Amino acid sequence: MRRAALALGLVALLAWPWASPRYFVFLASLSVVNAIVAIGLNLLSGYTNQLSFGHAGFLAVGAYTAALVTTRWPDTPIVVTLAVAALVTGLVGLGLGVPCLRLEGLYLAMATLAFGFVVVEAIMNLDWLTRGNDGLRVPAARLGPWALQSDTARYYLVVAVGVVMVWAALNLARTRTGRALLAIRESEIAAQASGVHLARYKTLAFAISAVYTGVAGGLFAFVVGFLSPDAFDVFLSVDYVAMIIVGGLGSVPGSIAGAALLTVLNDSLAGFQSYRPLIFGTLLILSLLFMPGGVARAFRFLKGEQG
Amino acid sequence: MTTAVLVHVVVSGLATGSIYALVAISLVIIYNATRTLNFAQGEMLMISTFVGFTAYQRLRLPLVVVLLVAVVAAAALGWAIERLIIRHAISATHFDVLILTLGVSLVLRAGAGLVWTHDEFPFPALFANRPVALGPVRVAPVSLGIIGASLALMLALYVFFAKTRLGRAMRAVAQNQRAARLMGISVERVYSASWMLAAVVGAVAGILIAPVIFLSSKMGLVAINGFIAAVLGGFGSMPGAVVGGMLLGVLENLAPLYLPSGIKYSVPFLLLIAILLVRPGGVVGRTVRRKV
Amino acid sequence: MRYHQAWVVALGALLAAAPAAAEPGVTDTEILIGGSNSFSGPLAFTGEQITKGGVELYLRVVNDAGGIHGRKVRTLWYDDAYRPQDAVANTKKLVEQDKVFAIIIPQGSPPVVATLDYLEEQKVPLLFPYQSSPVTRGKRWIFQGMTVSDRSSKMMIDYLAGRRKFKKFAALYQDDEYGKSFLTAFEKDLGRHGLKLGAAESVKRGVTDVSAQVAKLQATKPDVTFLVLVPGPAAQALKERQKIGWSDTLMVSTGPLTDERYLALAGEAAEGVEGLSLWPDPATSDRPGVKLYREHMQKYAPRNEPNRYSMAGYFAGMLFAEAAKRAGTNLTRESLIAALEGIKGWESGILPPLTIGPDHETQKQGFWVRVEKGRFKPVTDWLKGE
Repeated sequence: MRRAALALGLVALLAWPWASPRYFVFLASLSVVNAIVAIGLNLLSGYTNQLSFGHAGFLAVGAYTAALVTTRWPDTPIVVTLAVAALVTGLVGLGLGVPCLRLEGLYLAMATLAFGFVVVEAIMNLDWLTRGNDGLRVPAARLGPWALQSDTARYYLVVAVGVVMVWAALNLARTRTGRALLAIRESEIAAQASGVHLARYKTLAFAISAVYTGVAGGLFAFVVGFLSPDAFDVFLSVDYVAMIIVGGLGSVPGSIAGAALLTVLNDSLAGFQSYRPLIFGTLLILSLLFMPGGVARAFRFLKGEQG
Repeated sequence: MTTAVLVHVVVSGLATGSIYALVAISLVIIYNATRTLNFAQGEMLMISTFVGFTAYQRLRLPLVVVLLVAVVAAAALGWAIERLIIRHAISATHFDVLILTLGVSLVLRAGAGLVWTHDEFPFPALFANRPVALGPVRVAPVSLGIIGASLALMLALYVFFAKTRLGRAMRAVAQNQRAARLMGISVERVYSASWMLAAVVGAVAGILIAPVIFLSSKMGLVAINGFIAAVLGGFGSMPGAVVGGMLLGVLENLAPLYLPSGIKYSVPFLLLIAILLVRPGGVVGRTVRRKV
Repeated sequence: MRYHQAWVVALGALLAAAPAAAEPGVTDTEILIGGSNSFSGPLAFTGEQITKGGVELYLRVVNDAGGIHGRKVRTLWYDDAYRPQDAVANTKKLVEQDKVFAIIIPQGSPPVVATLDYLEEQKVPLLFPYQSSPVTRGKRWIFQGMTVSDRSSKMMIDYLAGRRKFKKFAALYQDDEYGKSFLTAFEKDLGRHGLKLGAAESVKRGVTDVSAQVAKLQATKPDVTFLVLVPGPAAQALKERQKIGWSDTLMVSTGPLTDERYLALAGEAAEGVEGLSLWPDPATSDRPGVKLYREHMQKYAPRNEPNRYSMAGYFAGMLFAEAAKRAGTNLTRESLIAALEGIKGWESGILPPLTIGPDHETQKQGFWVRVEKGRFKPVTDWLKGE
């Protein structure tokens, strides 16, 4: 049953560009990119209770890294580019995660918020590298002899990477690290008592979360094609938090649902102009009042399990 | 820089710092009662100021009455948000409530744009702008006025929390909700009162700062600095919120005075990270013991 | 082989028989244009005014008079909240889903620049973007709207350093693309006069206090201080100057800033301020086009008040209608571009006669103004920007 559903889902993903208009291919790519960020953020917030308002900053680091690598060395295969983006962002995440260990709850949220601001400031001021406020055009990604220039090509790239990232996140729970994170989610003190090295795993969660967001950032650069500091403001970080909460904390399918839902909603409301934030906000309020715990919990409830 | 310039810039920073402090206090009031961050604080402040402004424009009321109108509007708004939205999510996680208040802030801001447009408006000032000489230095009455009015409000709040029944009940709830309930305090009433009081403090801050940063649907963004101030001071502590606000206001002004342009805007944030790392509980915070 | 040839012949015949492909966004009764703009976010007021208050105002006049060659013009706007990625999404949707004929008056450098390559590649006309960076120059499908920063700068510096003989300059600029592009242009133009920009201080959008920046500029004792800001912070800077009693500098506003809102915000602190004005005064000018603009606003949107943003949008609508009319009944993207390129000495009644050259710029001039009793008083005639 589950296998069949999975297979069906994969086929639908692969067939999407042939079945839908070109614009929706682009929109789907954007949704997948956001879903990867949401999964990464959820690994941090959902598992170790560390709330971050700075993931737009990680996204920016990944995006600019990928864009700069491709600009400097246009022949770099996309896999390498994304790996570099993941590595750089992961290191930044580690750099932020270690000192942030001492912080909890609000304090951590504020420290990450500050990190987001500092990243945007850094992009503006390192203009010899990032072209600052002028913005950076991102050349097409390359895979061997092919340049991924069409929306469809980019979509398949994003989906391929997305599937790997989702698979890794789902299987994380089966590894030692995953079990440690789950234990931390239930109770930090209990986890510590059962021998989980709290500091190590919380830092690791930060780094993994950053790696996810860095990969998403690399994809974001190619999908959007243009980067500027205005793209990564604090409101984007808040959007990601909204995605995982609407989707459901600690749930991988929930993260995907939340990201897809909010991305599509945000897009389809654009035509309402000044009413867009009004409708978006109202829907956000209603969904949380009537669907506490997000999509993931509502789904479990529908299936008759304990919510 | 001469001393006169330094004094002026610091005083100016203290004035914006007082506003940050007031916003921080209102955030702390809500946090202490309901353990939630209120993302809509800035927008609540903006709406109340707009209501006061409309009263001023339509009825030509004197400014003191305008302030009163704004305060009443704020209390009503705070009550409504708590009663109609937040209370229904009482069993929800803090994260859920956080996103609820985010939704409220989006709705309020867009709503304000529809009612009053997204234009910016000059707001009548309670205090004059032209400088007066105080000994060797010249200061603007508007800066002193903002600082004075804010300090007066803080003092009133202090008396309220120390002397009145409701104030003490709010402190009791902040310390331990269950114990407070057992003592016969109506926790629900405290929730309502906290949201109303926070909104009122915000409204006063709004009326004070609107002549300086102008009235517009985006003036609520000033609350971001209020958040930072509250954290700098150790979230939950009112004196901390005051110190955090003043510190942030002054630093924000001193950084551009002495530092090269490449780094100056990062300073408040870098400082925030640094302070959090050295003193995770904020400048005047206490350490919190973790419960199982 | 022969089989293939037969196919090619058949295909050719089919293609020849088929009617010419219809132009996107154009039917016998309608032309559809649109754009991504700020309807929320920091520049929501401007966005609302240039699109609904301006472009739509003029197009309602056109439509009520029977449209352009019998076609009514319909508009479609999407909100991007000033985010580049949302602007990209909206623009793709307009082009691919809604199949608009052209994009009109999108706002702000970051959102506009993010869509430039895509629109050039798709051969979709990008008409009169409301931003002042020169990056839009020299593109076949793009016609720049607002006067570009380097032209503004040239007019300002030639007037101040050349005619008025000022020597010491400083600038208070917004920390973004708008501020930086003016700063670069000022430095270059001052260099031509053997001068340089003495000091420059940046201000962030949404700032609460500008006292430190203003104090630093005052310490360098400039004759002229440029304000390269948006209305809120600029009015704050003027009030700050009043607060510290700094009177021996001439404050000068750039074209995008010189407008009535900033005067209203600054109040008496704006007296004596000068600036480059890109538009005649929308509320008081008696140029025929401006009078007509006010009449139309009175008729169609009586609740709105005249301002430069809606006038800029109104002008954009006017220029589009003029070009579409000239392009004739067989309106295509190609013919629209040709018509725009053919505009010479066109009298709008708002700006001086317009000739669009190979640079594709639709607005190149401004004139000098001084604030007297709360209004801009013209000091010069139209200045030369080339």
